Amino acid sequence: MAENTFMGVPREKITWAPVIDYSRCNYCLECAKFCPHQVYEVREEEPRLIVANPTNCVVFCRACAKTCGPDAISFPEKSWVLEAIKALRQEEGGK
Amino acid sequence: MAAKYVILPCNGLDKEAGCLARELALKMAAATGSEIICPVLYQTAPSRYASLLQEGSLVVIDGCATRCASRIAANNNLKIYRKITMAEEAKKRDYNPGPDWRVGAGAAAFVEDVWRSWQPVFMEAEAGRVPGENAGLFAGPLEYAIHRHDKFIFRVPLAGFYFNENDCWVQVEGNRGRVGISDYLQQNLSDITFVTPPDPGTEVEQFGEMGTIESAKAVYELVSPVTGRVVAVNEAILEAPELINENPYEKGWIAELELTNFEADREFLLDGQRYMEVLKEKVADFNAGK
Repeated sequence: MAENTFMGVPREKITWAPVIDYSRCNYCLECAKFCPHQVYEVREEEPRLIVANPTNCVVFCRACAKTCGPDAISFPEKSWVLEAIKALRQEEGGK
Repeated sequence: MAAKYVILPCNGLDKEAGCLARELALKMAAATGSEIICPVLYQTAPSRYASLLQEGSLVVIDGCATRCASRIAANNNLKIYRKITMAEEAKKRDYNPGPDWRVGAGAAAFVEDVWRSWQPVFMEAEAGRVPGENAGLFAGPLEYAIHRHDKFIFRVPLAGFYFNENDCWVQVEGNRGRVGISDYLQQNLSDITFVTPPDPGTEVEQFGEMGTIESAKAVYELVSPVTGRVVAVNEAILEAPELINENPYEKGWIAELELTNFEADREFLLDGQRYMEVLKEKVADFNAGK
């Protein structure tokens, strides 16, 4: 349940994941070091950091952004995502 | 009468946020008769500040989210009395510190405004924080379910508590809700060093931010399980954040809210039994390296 769904909705249907602003990112990799869910992947080539596993990202968690000195990480609006989750739950007939 | 504080500011000079931290430290020191610690000198010769740190309460002023000053405090086991993060203050005021070190034209007014909002806190008034009006309203959990994994023991209250999948709980009494974090989350964060609860009067949405909690590992944004208006915060955790580690469901509660939409909120919450199932999966996933 916990790994595949959030509030009863399949995780892959929920568009919650970090977005990296490469004009700000200084590749300190604090976000990748912090995230225990392997959302980020560090590469040798450019860009050196990518969001490799967006559906591993815990819905409504923005902890990695709070580790980002240059403020290069953003997330979707929580209220918008919550409304989408509510709609998906209705479509799927509740819990 | 002003209290005596010891101020540890960010020393970052390569970004405006660091320079703003310094400006605020100077302003606060002048207004309260406090002393400023140089972060560079402190790391080189900590004994220089040993007696100062014993005399006064430590105020940390971070510049950006890198939180260098906080990290210096955590690495040296310094107990933080209050913390200000200039990047957060800037967001609240739609002020946009640039990547450059040069302080912009509006910086002085911005720093003045930040100090004006914090001044009552440091002038003994403790403004903006109100004690719990209904301290006796919320009884502690009567019964816990327990999940053991290796040396870890995770507790979940069985009755009266509701959880979201972000490991935050609400205990409901009438139209009041007391909120906090689960035993699973506090153990994951390990030693909690600082808590920033939501300000009284703040309107919080379900799944919106209800403050932050900080450990040696990271800053963690708390995700509110309910919608409502903050009517009280737990003063005790400001002085002793370790209470959350000791007892996250009783002494370590974070805030109390006047609930405005609990019947609707409840649809997206888990009772203790269901949360325990989620917790077991999280523990299993964590240990499987997912």
